[in-house]
Amino acid sequence: MNYKGALVVGAILALLLVAGCAAPEEAKKEKEPIIIGMPLPTAYVYGYGPEHAAKLAVEEINAKGGVKVGDEYRPLKLEIIDTRDLEPGVPVTDALAAIEKLILEKKVNVLVGGPARSEAALAAMDISAKYKVPTIISTGVLTPAYHKRIEENYEKYKYCFRLNSFAVPLAVENVEILEDLKSNYGYDKVYVMVQDVEHARKFGEVIAGLLEKKGWKIVGFDKFPTGTTDFSASLLKAKTEGAQILLIQMDMPESTILLKQWTDMKMPAIPIGFIAAAQEQKAWEATGGKINYLIVSSGAFIGNAEVNYEPAMKFYKDYEKRWGFPPEAHGTSSTYAAIYAVAAAIEKAGTLDSDAVVKALEEIDLKGTPVGRIKFDPKSHQVVVAKNPEEGVVDCWFQWQDGVRATIYPQSVAIAEVKLPPWMK
Amino acid sequence: MQEILNVLIYGLVQSSYLALVSIGFSLTYGISRMPNFAHGALYILAAFIVWIGLNVLGLTHIFSILVAILIAAGIGGLLYWGVLIRVRGMEASEIIATFALSIVIVELIRYFGFFGTSYGLPPFFEGVVTIGGITIDYQRIIVIATTFLLVLFLWVFTHHTKLGLGFRAIAQDEHVAMMLGIDSDLMAALSLAFGSALAALAAVVWTPITQIASEAALNVLLYAMIICILGGLGSTIGVLIASLVIGYSQILTSTLIGPEYQMIVPLAAILVILIVKPSGIFGKQKELEERV
Repeated sequence: MNYKGALVVGAILALLLVAGCAAPEEAKKEKEPIIIGMPLPTAYVYGYGPEHAAKLAVEEINAKGGVKVGDEYRPLKLEIIDTRDLEPGVPVTDALAAIEKLILEKKVNVLVGGPARSEAALAAMDISAKYKVPTIISTGVLTPAYHKRIEENYEKYKYCFRLNSFAVPLAVENVEILEDLKSNYGYDKVYVMVQDVEHARKFGEVIAGLLEKKGWKIVGFDKFPTGTTDFSASLLKAKTEGAQILLIQMDMPESTILLKQWTDMKMPAIPIGFIAAAQEQKAWEATGGKINYLIVSSGAFIGNAEVNYEPAMKFYKDYEKRWGFPPEAHGTSSTYAAIYAVAAAIEKAGTLDSDAVVKALEEIDLKGTPVGRIKFDPKSHQVVVAKNPEEGVVDCWFQWQDGVRATIYPQSVAIAEVKLPPWMK
Repeated sequence: MQEILNVLIYGLVQSSYLALVSIGFSLTYGISRMPNFAHGALYILAAFIVWIGLNVLGLTHIFSILVAILIAAGIGGLLYWGVLIRVRGMEASEIIATFALSIVIVELIRYFGFFGTSYGLPPFFEGVVTIGGITIDYQRIIVIATTFLLVLFLWVFTHHTKLGLGFRAIAQDEHVAMMLGIDSDLMAALSLAFGSALAALAAVVWTPITQIASEAALNVLLYAMIICILGGLGSTIGVLIASLVIGYSQILTSTLIGPEYQMIVPLAAILVILIVKPSGIFGKQKELEERV
C-alpha cells in the first residue's frame, strides 16, 4: 500500500470511529417520548377505527414538534395492545392483563381508547386508580355506570375520563328523531328488534318506554340471539301489525341479513338504531346498497360521516387522505380528539405528573375540535354532550342516502333531511 | 295463512342452510372417523378467498368460487397428510389438531387485515319472487337448490363411482377394504378434502345472504356438530332429517314463541337425543347406507 492508499484507509477508519462514537451521543439527545397506551379490540370497528385515528393525531402533533412539557417539546408515542374484549368467550381478565402490561412493561404515561366492552372498562377503572394513570375512554363503554362511579367515588376514580357518548343521550336523541317523523308523517307504531345481549335489550327497553310515554304504540319487541340467520317471521309480524318504524339495536354481523330482508321485502317501515354492521362507509358495498334509507346511530360523535361542521369535515378529509378511506365509525373521531385533549392537558399541566394532568383535563376547554367543544364535567369526568358543537361534543345520526352517510341529526350540523324509501311514499 | 306459508318457505331455507354447513363435516367423519374441527374456519377462509378473487384479483365470480373450493379441498387433504396421519385413531389428538388448525386459519385471516363487518359477496342473481305474499330472494332459492343437487350428487357419487364406492367400503369396514386393495390413508385424505370442499361450497352459496366475518367460524362449526350429533355422526340421511327438524323448529319457535328461543331449540335437541338415543336419529354406525 502506498502513502495515498494508507491515507484513504486511515481517513475511512477515522470517519467510522467518529460515527461510532457520535451515534450514541445523538441517541442521548433524542427526546424521551410521552407514551400513550391504547388498549383496543383491534379486530373490531370499535378498535381499528380508534387505532387509525390515534395514529393520525400523533403524526400531526409530532410533525409540529410534539407536546410542550415545561420548557421542552417531546414527541408522542403510541403503544397499542389488542384486548380482544369484544370477542365471544374472551374473559374480562384478559383485557385487564393487557392494560397492566401497558402500564408495567411499556411504562405508559396516559391510557386512551378502550377497552370497549363496558364490563371490561368498569373493571379497568381500578387498575387506572391503582397505578394512578390518567385514562380517557374514547370508544365503546356506553354505560352510564362509568361516569356515575367516578362521581360517587371521585378520590379513587379521578384518573378516569370518558370522551365518548353514552346510553342516555343516545336514547333521548333516538326518541327525538322518531318524534320528528311522527310530526312529519303521522307515524306512531314501532316494532323493536334487538340483539339478545344486555346492552341492546336495555337500549330497546329504555327507548320503548320513552316512546310509550309519548303516545307511541310498541307493536312488537323481539330479541334475536347472536348468530340469527333469518328475520322473516319478525318482519312479517311487523308488517301485519302495521309498524312504521323498526327500532334496531344490534352489533352482530348477521344484522345485515335483517337489512337485506327488509329491502327485499320492501317493508313499509323505516329501520333506525344502533347497527354496527351498517356504520362504516364500506358497508354500502358489502351489502350491495341494501342499507339505503337506514337511519344509523354509530353511538359516536360527529366527524365520522359527512356533516355541516368545518372542523369535523377537515378531520374527515385528512383521515381519508391518510388512510385511503373515510373515518370508520364508532370511536374514531372521539379517539382523535382524545389524543389532542391529552396533548392539551399535558401542555397545560407542564408536567407528566398524573394528578397535575388530571387537574388539567378537568380544566381544559377545547373549542373547534372535530367533535365539537371538549369540556369534561369536573365531578363525573364525562365529556359534556350537546346539540351544538359550540356548546359541547355532538352525537351524530346519519341516514344512508344513495351511498352517502348523510348526517340528519342534530339540526345544527345536519346536511340532509330524512328520506323515505320509494315504497313508503 | 301467510304465517304458515312463511314457516314453510323460510323453514326450508333454514333447513337447507343447516344441511349445507353440516354435510361436509358429516361426510368426513363418516368415512375417516375424524372430526374436522377446522370446518368452520375453512368455511370462512373460502368466503374470503372468493372476496379476494372478486375485489383484489379481478377474477370472475365463478372462477373465484372454483379457486376457493379447490384451496379448501387442498388444505383438507394436506391436513391429513401433514398432521392427522400421525395421530389417526387418537381421538383427542385429532380434535386438538383440527381445532388448532381452525385457530391458525382464523388468526391468519385476521393477521392479514380481514376483520370487521364490511366484507360481503354479491348474490349469484339479484331479485326476488313473491309466493302467496311471502317474498324470497333468488339467493335463498339457490341455497335450497344447491342442497337438493348436492344430496343427489352425493347419492350418485357414492353409488356409481369407483371413488364413492371406495369411500363406502372404508366407511363400512376399514380393514376389509384395505384387504381388497383400497388405500385407507388416501381415502381418509380425500374425505377431508371432500368435506373441506363442501364447507367452501356452503360458504360461497350462503355468504351473499349475510356478511363474511371470522367470528362466524365458530357458529358454523357449532351448527354442523349439532346437526351431526342429532342426525347421527356420519349419516348423510341423518344430517338431512336433523336439518329439517332443527330448521323448521327454529322458524316455528321464532314465529310462535319468540326469536330469542330459537337457539335453545338445537341445544335442547342435543340434550334430548343424547339422553334418549346417544348415537343420534340415524346413528346406526355399523350400517353402510347410514354412514355415507
